[in-house]
Amino acid sequence: MIRERAAVLSNEPSHEGGIALWLDAPALAAAGHEPGQFVMVHCAPEGGEPMFARAFSIHRRDEGRIALLYAVTGHGTGWLAERRRGDVLSLYGPLGKGFRLPDGAGNLLLVAGGVGVAPMVDLAETALARGHQVTAMMGARTASQLLPADAWPSAVEYVVATEDGTRGLHGRVTEHLDEYVAWSSRLYACGPTPMFAALADALRDNGRRQRPEILMEETMPCGWGLCYGCAIETRHGVRLCCKDGPRFNLFDVF
Amino acid sequence: MSASGTSGVGDDFARQHNVNRLGAFVTKAVTLRRRQGNPQPRTVETPAGMLNSIGLQNPGVERVIADMAPVWAGWETPVIVNVAGETAGEFGALAAALDGVPGVAALELNISCPNVNNVLDIGQSVLAAGRATRAAARATELPIIAKLTPAAQEPAQIARACVDEGAAVICAINTVPGMAIDAEARRPVLTRGMGGLSGPAIKPIALRVVYEMARAVSVPIIGCGGIRSGLDAVEFLMAGATAVQVGTASFANPHALLDVIDELEAWLEAHDVSDVRDIIGCAQQFETDVPAPLLEPVEQHAAG
Ligand SMILES: Cc1cc2nc3c(=O)[nH]c(=O)nc-3n(C[C@H](O)[C@H](O)[C@H](O)COP(=O)(O)O)c2cc1C
Ligand code: FES
Repeated sequence: MIRERAAVLSNEPSHEGGIALWLDAPALAAAGHEPGQFVMVHCAPEGGEPMFARAFSIHRRDEGRIALLYAVTGHGTGWLAERRRGDVLSLYGPLGKGFRLPDGAGNLLLVAGGVGVAPMVDLAETALARGHQVTAMMGARTASQLLPADAWPSAVEYVVATEDGTRGLHGRVTEHLDEYVAWSSRLYACGPTPMFAALADALRDNGRRQRPEILMEETMPCGWGLCYGCAIETRHGVRLCCKDGPRFNLFDVF
Repeated sequence: MSASGTSGVGDDFARQHNVNRLGAFVTKAVTLRRRQGNPQPRTVETPAGMLNSIGLQNPGVERVIADMAPVWAGWETPVIVNVAGETAGEFGALAAALDGVPGVAALELNISCPNVNNVLDIGQSVLAAGRATRAAARATELPIIAKLTPAAQEPAQIARACVDEGAAVICAINTVPGMAIDAEARRPVLTRGMGGLSGPAIKPIALRVVYEMARAVSVPIIGCGGIRSGLDAVEFLMAGATAVQVGTASFANPHALLDVIDELEAWLEAHDVSDVRDIIGCAQQFETDVPAPLLEPVEQHAAG
């Protein structure tokens, strides 16, 4: 675990419901991480509240810098959204178990909803660099809530679905999986719980071969296995989201 | 030392830090049988603290001994195993299971956890606390630390009962029973309703309880509750504690335990205190309304 005080480079909305935060974090960046791992960021002045850091998956990386992508959901993220270039944040990580990429070249299908798209961009970049083909699907209620196409590496095939039909496929992303799943050799997903449940239903009969992996979210006071607050019930018993996850097999949880 | 339940069983901690810098490592509570703990939500952040309702998730005493005791035996720092039972008999069985296990230096009896049935009841009754302590003390040669709750009517009386029945050390305090309400849902946030409050919010309660207990028993007291700096530790020592534990602060700051040690040393040096014992209990000499020592008069009666 690296602890670092990192200067904010930029902190700008990327789309409705997503703010991209670039940090100058040379030590964390040098430590390296697996896509799907996360960092804990203090979202308060030192010694202030909220007392506990918040978990964010790593969205992108680039020579000494890392980016997070977050939505404002409470006091902590509200405070974070007010940070400006030059402000310093304290954080620690990388933590948890990230996605497992296959050894040989594969066809990877990435499925994202909401800010669950954050780790998918890092996963896509890493997977492309390792010679995989990547199709990323993102679902949202309406077009403005989609991560813009230019936020993805250009080699990614980006498929979007909106519930109101304002862009891409009409309906939920989990209603349009069939042809993509058939093409894929591996599947990775991150999004809200209802999306995972729908995904499990959609894949139960024809998606087991892809061994779908998901990133779970749970309240994480510590982030590294101290508090036992982040329990997730799985088919193999209770697991800690921060330490045994946040990557789980879809069918172990849903 | 680490406060039970806030640094796991030590493997993760030792991977990140030099565990041998701690005065002792206290494990998460261990029970006779495996417990999977309580359902979510397990924690709620509250002003200057948190409520938890973890529910003593652990794989059971036999598994913990098999997996961890060999690791602990390799550390220089002593390992104190926190044990939780629902009856005096269970405390006795836990003590027997841990007796003589290499790598285990002492037992801390958790008769104060608000998150499982019965445990808190034991800690609130002079008789039940005494029985649990006796059952454990009879089953092992290991030193017994009784970890007590501030929820008892008179915590100092519980401390005395535990010492009378064989506790070599008192640890105070465990979490304070508390509650959070979700206004939108119109119900308690935690499934069990009640949870244990910890963190800076409870520090004044802990200081008062330590101060009272230091007047009631002559064995060492470990102070615990809301400590996150060396200065906090100094205050507990002055109240009468001989050692301190750091819990919730470790969640906010992964380095909290070592920071407290460093800051304590720096404070002592800056104040020309060459022996930490010089400040232990120094705040006791002032006239206060906290009940005066209870132990001595009883003994004097017996003698005279
Ligand atoms: C998440 C959590 C788990 C805990 N688990 C235990 C436990 O297993 N056994 C125990 O005796 N105390 C347990 N405690 C209580 C702490 O050891 C400590 O007594 C209390 O939190 C007060 O100290 P603090 O304010 O420094 O956290 C737990 C506390 C927390 C916050
Ligand atoms: S967040 Fe503390 S154990 Fe997972």
